[in-house]
Amino acid sequence: MRPDDAAPLAPTAPGEPTAEAGPPPSDSLEPGAAQPPRRRWGELVLALATTALGVYVLVAAGSITVPSSTNTLGPRAFPYLVGGLLAVVGVVLVLLVLSGRGGEEEGGEDVDPTVRTDWLTVVLLVVALVVHVFLINIIGWPFAAAVLFAAAAMILGARPWWRAALTGLVLGLIVQLIFGGLLGLSLPPGPLLEGVPFLHG
Amino acid sequence: MDNFSALLEGFTTVLHPVYLLWALFGVFIGTAVGVLPGIGPAMAIALLLPLTYTLEPTAAIIAFAGIYYGGMYGGSTTSILLNTPGESASIVTAIEGNKMARAGRGAAALATAAIGSFVAGTIATVALTFLAPVIADVAVQLGDPDYFALMVVAFITVGALIGSSVPRGLASLALGLFLGLVGTDTLTGQQRFTFGVPNLADGIDVVVVAVGLFAVGEALYVGSRMRHGPIKVIPIEKGWRSWMKPDDWRRSWKPWLRGAAIGFPVGTIPAGGADVATFLSYATEKRLAGKERRKQFGKGAIEGVAGPEAANNAASAGVLVPLLTLGLPTTATAAIIVVAFQSYGIQPGPQLMLNESALVWALIASLYIGNLMLVVLNLPLVGMWVKVLRIPRHYLYAGILMFGALGSYALHFSPIDVLLLVLIGAAGFFMRRYGYPVAPLVVGMILGPMAEDRLRRSLAISQGDLSYLVASPFAASAYVAIIVLVAVGIWLKRRERAQA
Repeated sequence: MRPDDAAPLAPTAPGEPTAEAGPPPSDSLEPGAAQPPRRRWGELVLALATTALGVYVLVAAGSITVPSSTNTLGPRAFPYLVGGLLAVVGVVLVLLVLSGRGGEEEGGEDVDPTVRTDWLTVVLLVVALVVHVFLINIIGWPFAAAVLFAAAAMILGARPWWRAALTGLVLGLIVQLIFGGLLGLSLPPGPLLEGVPFLHG
Repeated sequence: MDNFSALLEGFTTVLHPVYLLWALFGVFIGTAVGVLPGIGPAMAIALLLPLTYTLEPTAAIIAFAGIYYGGMYGGSTTSILLNTPGESASIVTAIEGNKMARAGRGAAALATAAIGSFVAGTIATVALTFLAPVIADVAVQLGDPDYFALMVVAFITVGALIGSSVPRGLASLALGLFLGLVGTDTLTGQQRFTFGVPNLADGIDVVVVAVGLFAVGEALYVGSRMRHGPIKVIPIEKGWRSWMKPDDWRRSWKPWLRGAAIGFPVGTIPAGGADVATFLSYATEKRLAGKERRKQFGKGAIEGVAGPEAANNAASAGVLVPLLTLGLPTTATAAIIVVAFQSYGIQPGPQLMLNESALVWALIASLYIGNLMLVVLNLPLVGMWVKVLRIPRHYLYAGILMFGALGSYALHFSPIDVLLLVLIGAAGFFMRRYGYPVAPLVVGMILGPMAEDRLRRSLAISQGDLSYLVASPFAASAYVAIIVLVAVGIWLKRRERAQA
């Protein structure tokens, strides 16, 4: 349909990714087109972060100690290469985003391309994961896993809450039994199940 | 070289009841994750990597091989039966298969996909059996510059040719290369980019990165814009008589064979794996169809399911050739399989066929068995897979998060790994949201340290003379191949867009 779009797709080396094969500028991005300024900001931050990481790698590579025994290519050379690649690609991406050629977001069977990003869900899922991490050593793995499962399921829309909680608990105990008891992975069963022998690794 | 007896040896290993069970477990899990949207074989193997902490290598590798093959079968069920508007049409099988299902021919579409996958998968496994030892013989004679050249090929193809945006692919690749740098330099013992954190001195664990990107990143991304409401599955007619009519067989067998012939070679070269193969097969079938048949393309032509599905499976077997003989992963799933090998202290590469020949042949034998299991599992049990397809999405992604957290916690039983997982998961979310492919990151992280090692060894031999890198005929032709691959890549992309 639009053969010209593919034409500039000619990277000759990783060091010079100046040619861009950006997705068709507007019409294939209907979902994002509804909110262009917002998308642009987040994407710009990501591109700038890539550039910044590249600059950091280039600077920090200079402070890697090079042992006197090193004869040719020392421990600094490859980091310089990687940092350079990051910085160059980052600058290219910044320019692309500024010129309005954004990325094509990933699709998927469960992804609804017509809805806006629900940031609350993302934040809550991250919180659930962090809470899970700190619960493992307090209430044991199976219960911490049950909390994570139930919380994540409810954040994603599972109702009623007790079915999610029950499913999580059963799943946590089954995994503890299989991985901990049968396969010998030393998952901490927690104070409540300390005395149950077949749950131990 | 007595490969035949080695293969028979492999079969006797795999036919041991315990290994048969692991193979069955693998293909079962593989099909399930293939059927479930949002989970691919890469994520499934990443999530199941904790198995390698306690299981012996042969059992684990057989299970992973089953997951790898099973994932390829299961995907077709989803694209044929799931009534998701728009999105899944980007996969060529879905175009014809979904149309067939809507026209009440879903059973025939599923059957031709499954039988075609079996036929092509078996042909490709035979090809792998013969080709792998030959290539391994050549590979043993390759020097450091040759390997460095091969890795550059992999970087370019995975980073630049796959995905829709070259700079975004390269950014992802560079990020992976950076993560690979973190830790202690193997040649000089110097710490690099560890930020003074003692935990980072050993480097960042690939498992955490893979699970974070594939499992947590995907769950966060889907969570951010989930498709709510009931899951619409197209109903299919019951009974094996409705699977394929004589006419369907007549129209399917040639596309199967052509799909195998296209898929295997495309899989062996680092040119994008199965996606390119399915697309090429679809285009071929469309071209070869007669005037009457060509009109059916886009409306439910069985050739358009049979060919690409066969090519897809043959390509997956092809990917194993560079993986087992050169240690070169060319897809994300192959990269995760490398991690599985590494967690046993086994480095895939030319020495693999010599040092671990029993394991490699058991793996190849398990592919034959797995293929057979898959065709048996898929056709009569399709009703069960439809039920799997209906699993409520909130439970599905909650489960993915739970198993992801388990995988990284079980590494060292330290909460720090899980926190790192959350961080990388968030990065994976932003990458997905802004169209950065995640596969190059994983490949870069795994291949990066190997490439640096080869490069520095090469230049140590040549005492800094860069021309040594292109001095050997093999390395020189690899760099020429890069130019050819880039040209072919452009041509394929153009065609893909022209067709779409």
